[in-house]
Amino acid sequence: MPVGRIPSASYYDARNRPGASLYRARQPYLIKNAVTGVVIVAFVAGVYSFTIRAIGQDDFSDVPIPDAPIQGAAAPHTTAGVRSAGPA
Amino acid sequence: MAAPNLCSKCLRQALRYSLPSHVSRRTFAASATKSPSTERRLHQASRQRAAALEPQRSTVNEPLPNTSRGQQDKKDASQRQSPRVLLRPNNLFHSYTRSPSPEIRQRAAFIRQNAYCPHPDHQPTRQPTSPFDPEGRKTVEAGGAQQPPRHVSHECPDCGIPVSCCEEHFVDDYGSHLEICDMLRQINEDDHDLVSGRFFPEFEYPGVQIDEAQVNLTNWDTLLYSREFHAVNEDRPMRQVTRLLTYPITVGSVLHELSPYGLKDRILPEGLRSLSALRYTLHPPRSGAGIDVKGIRPNPPPMRLFVLGARAESSLPREVWLQLAHLFPRATFHVILIGPEAMANRDNEFPLPERTPANPFGAIVEDRLGGQMKISTYVEYFHTLHAAQHFYPYDPYFDCFVLFHPGLGHPASSHEWTETLPQLLETKVPVLCTGYTEFDMERDIAWVKEQAKGEADLLMQAGENRFRSLRWDLNDADPGDVSCGNWGVWAFRGKRYEADEYRGKREDGDGSGGWEK
Repeated sequence: MPVGRIPSASYYDARNRPGASLYRARQPYLIKNAVTGVVIVAFVAGVYSFTIRAIGQDDFSDVPIPDAPIQGAAAPHTTAGVRSAGPA
Repeated sequence: MAAPNLCSKCLRQALRYSLPSHVSRRTFAASATKSPSTERRLHQASRQRAAALEPQRSTVNEPLPNTSRGQQDKKDASQRQSPRVLLRPNNLFHSYTRSPSPEIRQRAAFIRQNAYCPHPDHQPTRQPTSPFDPEGRKTVEAGGAQQPPRHVSHECPDCGIPVSCCEEHFVDDYGSHLEICDMLRQINEDDHDLVSGRFFPEFEYPGVQIDEAQVNLTNWDTLLYSREFHAVNEDRPMRQVTRLLTYPITVGSVLHELSPYGLKDRILPEGLRSLSALRYTLHPPRSGAGIDVKGIRPNPPPMRLFVLGARAESSLPREVWLQLAHLFPRATFHVILIGPEAMANRDNEFPLPERTPANPFGAIVEDRLGGQMKISTYVEYFHTLHAAQHFYPYDPYFDCFVLFHPGLGHPASSHEWTETLPQLLETKVPVLCTGYTEFDMERDIAWVKEQAKGEADLLMQAGENRFRSLRWDLNDADPGDVSCGNWGVWAFRGKRYEADEYRGKREDGDGSGGWEK
């Protein structure tokens, strides 16, 4: 290791943080890049939310639930000819 | 003893511990202009606008490109016989007359002997060069011009530069001095920074990049980053490095295909025609060329850049001119520096070569600059060379004239350009001009428009140069005159009369060549 300070020539400092010259070099593109990033993330979020909603459960609140069929004391499944639509 | 395969940092470290006595270093005792070394010293001169005086010698110390000589190490210095003073960054402001550096004291002596006090009570010594010139205040009608002119001797305590002949005049004129006092102080500190003896990492210029590397020409920071310069984080080194680089980069920024100037910006349609022709040469399509026999391809002739009226730019270190070639990886350049003062600050290169039939004007030709660039220097007026048809034929695909602060309209120098201007217009090759200030450029444009009598087309509207020097320079003959190199840029060309399709009468009457804004 050389004694004394060697002047830094890199755009990142000793702790790998961007230096002032790097910030200045990026400065014309900050706003445009930020807006582009927001647009991309918004698009991804929009696709994700739409997909989750689209594969979600259907809403059957407008379908009238028929009354339970009138049953005798016998077990319902032994009664012939009664077809049920399945659980609502 | 400099090993070519060591990087500059390792070399610095290696030389830190071994003290070769034969390696001459720049000390305060050595004058920047008189060098005992037989090697060629490449100086950088600051442009001076002395109207009646000779150009001031440069007093800028700059480490040479060769790394073994570019060291300014404090430890080494302390072990030599003459102890050197390293000026720390917080110790850069010194009065010019009491400066620790002999060069700056010499400059102060020059200023005291040559510059006149700007107070209106003195009689004028020259014509005012602009409406803002303080010399214009020295009129009898305004109540002044009673006393004979006196040289400056009193220094402003805030900026350290002699600006007045006596304290009474300084106090009286303090208002107008205050406008430039900050700038003068910055100039003072920058000048002392150059002689401070620090490392100058910003003057280590990068080499070529790969072909695919794109250069970003939006502003200085993006350019330095995309060209892989060393990081310049502080303002002061930024000012020092842009002062030199402005010359090649201004030219490169206009000619490059990724130029920040375009049709929407400041380029006119005629300008786009000229620039497209040049870009055809500067950015040739890949031809499959290689270094072996199968890779032999016919090469076009080099792009010729005629730098007319060359003064300071002819003594720029050649590494700085090579930056122009590095912007255009597949193009070759021939930079031709022409002008009566083209050997300013190049005293080591005298005497000029003999005038032989092969070299009829005794030009200095430097062709060992890496294969991409050749630099020739002619100490002649351009009209002489043009009349001798020395550069004939001129091709708008290969040639470009560049005039760095020519002073076309300046009363002291416009007579030298009257003979050259019609010849420039006749070649139909674009002429790129720069100027110190907006007023300077407007005056140049008005002069060209008047002299050309309709034979010239404006190619690029005048405006601020994105790659101007960020550092302000002092005119030693007039401390009130601060200027920055290449502040603005514009371009013109002789009018081409080409048969064009008749499209009916144009409603805006645009046949004048775009001179009006």
